[in-house]
Amino acid sequence: MNRALPEMLQCSDMTVLQRQRARLKWQTEQLRQQNYFCELSGVFTSQTGFQQGGLMNGAGGGDSVLSNMGMSRQLKPDPGLETAWPELGKINMGFGSCGYGNGPSFDMNHAISRTSSCPPAVAAAVGSKPVEVKGNSEKMGSAVGRESFKKRKVEKLQNSKVVAEDEYKRIKASEEEEEESKITGPNTIKISNNKKQNSGDTSKDNSKVSEVQKPDYIHVRARRGQATDSHSLAERVRREKISERMKYLQDLVPGCNKITGKAGMLDEIINYVQSLQRQVEFLSMKLATVNPSLDFNIDNLYAKEEFPSCTTNFPTVGMAPEMTNHSPFLQFNPIQQVVSGCGVEMGMGMGMNSSDMALRRTISAPVSIPDASFLNTTCFTGPQQQIQPSAPWEVELQNLYNVAFTDTIEASDLEMEM
Amino acid sequence: MCPHTSLKQQFLKKWIMGLQRCSFSKKNMSILERKKTIKLSADIAMASARNGTTRWSRALISNASKDGSDNRLVQQILGPDSNTPAATTTNKAGTRRASVCKKIVKRSHQIRRRRRKCVAAAPVKAVTSSISEHLVRKRRQVLKTLIPGGEFMDEICLIEETLDYITSLRVQVDVMRSVASACFSQS
Repeated sequence: MNRALPEMLQCSDMTVLQRQRARLKWQTEQLRQQNYFCELSGVFTSQTGFQQGGLMNGAGGGDSVLSNMGMSRQLKPDPGLETAWPELGKINMGFGSCGYGNGPSFDMNHAISRTSSCPPAVAAAVGSKPVEVKGNSEKMGSAVGRESFKKRKVEKLQNSKVVAEDEYKRIKASEEEEEESKITGPNTIKISNNKKQNSGDTSKDNSKVSEVQKPDYIHVRARRGQATDSHSLAERVRREKISERMKYLQDLVPGCNKITGKAGMLDEIINYVQSLQRQVEFLSMKLATVNPSLDFNIDNLYAKEEFPSCTTNFPTVGMAPEMTNHSPFLQFNPIQQVVSGCGVEMGMGMGMNSSDMALRRTISAPVSIPDASFLNTTCFTGPQQQIQPSAPWEVELQNLYNVAFTDTIEASDLEMEM
Repeated sequence: MCPHTSLKQQFLKKWIMGLQRCSFSKKNMSILERKKTIKLSADIAMASARNGTTRWSRALISNASKDGSDNRLVQQILGPDSNTPAATTTNKAGTRRASVCKKIVKRSHQIRRRRRKCVAAAPVKAVTSSISEHLVRKRRQVLKTLIPGGEFMDEICLIEETLDYITSLRVQVDVMRSVASACFSQS
């Protein structure tokens, strides 16, 4: 990553966005390492930031602003550092002079490699001892990538990720915003770094409200200019929950997009629920009055839909006793014809999932009687009419279809009983 | 409604089963009775499709079981299914609801008292806000009467239940409409 960045920086046909992103990632790593090599890395990053700024000025105007930002960003946590390091050559001097037991030489090498790994191109541009630095960086670059700090390892990674995210978002914003948020950024992000933190809350960080969820409490930071009363905070949380759910309702209820007030939306919701309930009433009345046999038309659909699973259960449980009890008032002949005609259709209907189409197919089977409209009327008008059941009909059907189909036909028997 | 097909199928299956079980007993039913049966079985099917996860479904089933005449139907519909725990928890739910209701009433009194104090501070703003609050409150009352079991819910819960109830109603309407249209397209 550290090695990749300078090459990317050199690449001129890379978009600004990618460059910014790459730089962000690099800088987050820089930030990460600052706490460990605060003075050392601060020095170097400031210097490298400066160098980077120098390089980027050639590349693009906007970038230079960002690099300045980067520099200032890194300077802020370490205000006590020197900033006047115009030449890269001084790195080595600084390195030598800063050998005050910051840690093992290994760590210092890492520091150097990390900080100087970004702009070996910069070093080349500056033209002072680039080879050594570069060699160092390339040696250590991979090790750096793999190195893991023992303290707050996971946190830092998350921090860097969140910081990267946040910084990336804020790149688009104005400078001041960035500056402000950078100060508050690390603080809020450290606090809000728990697992329950979702991306929505990182965007909330921008508005200076962060919700941290520890196991027992919900920590809410008050917005600027708002009361910090616990009651008002709780009420605000509650209100936010309500408004979030109202948004869902807005999507659900048609025509609610233009209405913004709570009362208006509630009004729409009430109207919608009432209309739906009325529709249910109306449809049930419709189903009840005009088509008394409809109730078991649906049995066909049910059996068909459950064809792979429980066709055997369904008819035997429900149908068998009724078959014996009641005499089926059924027009067998037309149904026979229709069934034979629709056999293929029903087979096709098996695989389909859309209930409407399947319904049409099933209901078309017993109902659509091409040449026997009078039988339609008989079947619909009533339970009073009796038609002799014919056993051979059933036998014939069973010869024609497999068990599933016969189940559906038995269902259609019962449909006429109502 | 493509994402609801599984729910639709589930509802349809339960509805059919319910109709089967409760309609076979009577051969001759008046239109109104039939309509009532159909609607009841549809509602119960819808509610049981939720498996007692939502409050409105539990309230619906418990309300239906409370009436003497419908109780048999409900029992028949739900009978062999494992949804009867939903009906048995109604007693506990009832007492809990009563206590929740009391808490809500108490809380609303406190809020009203607090708001009156604030109102004294800023009269003009309070008038408009109180009007809007009044409107919202009225509508919330109406919504509570619409959603089954809604009288005992607080606001957040009410909105969640409304969401679920609306989706279930839509599924119900769609399925019933498709059944009706399929029927009538042939005749």
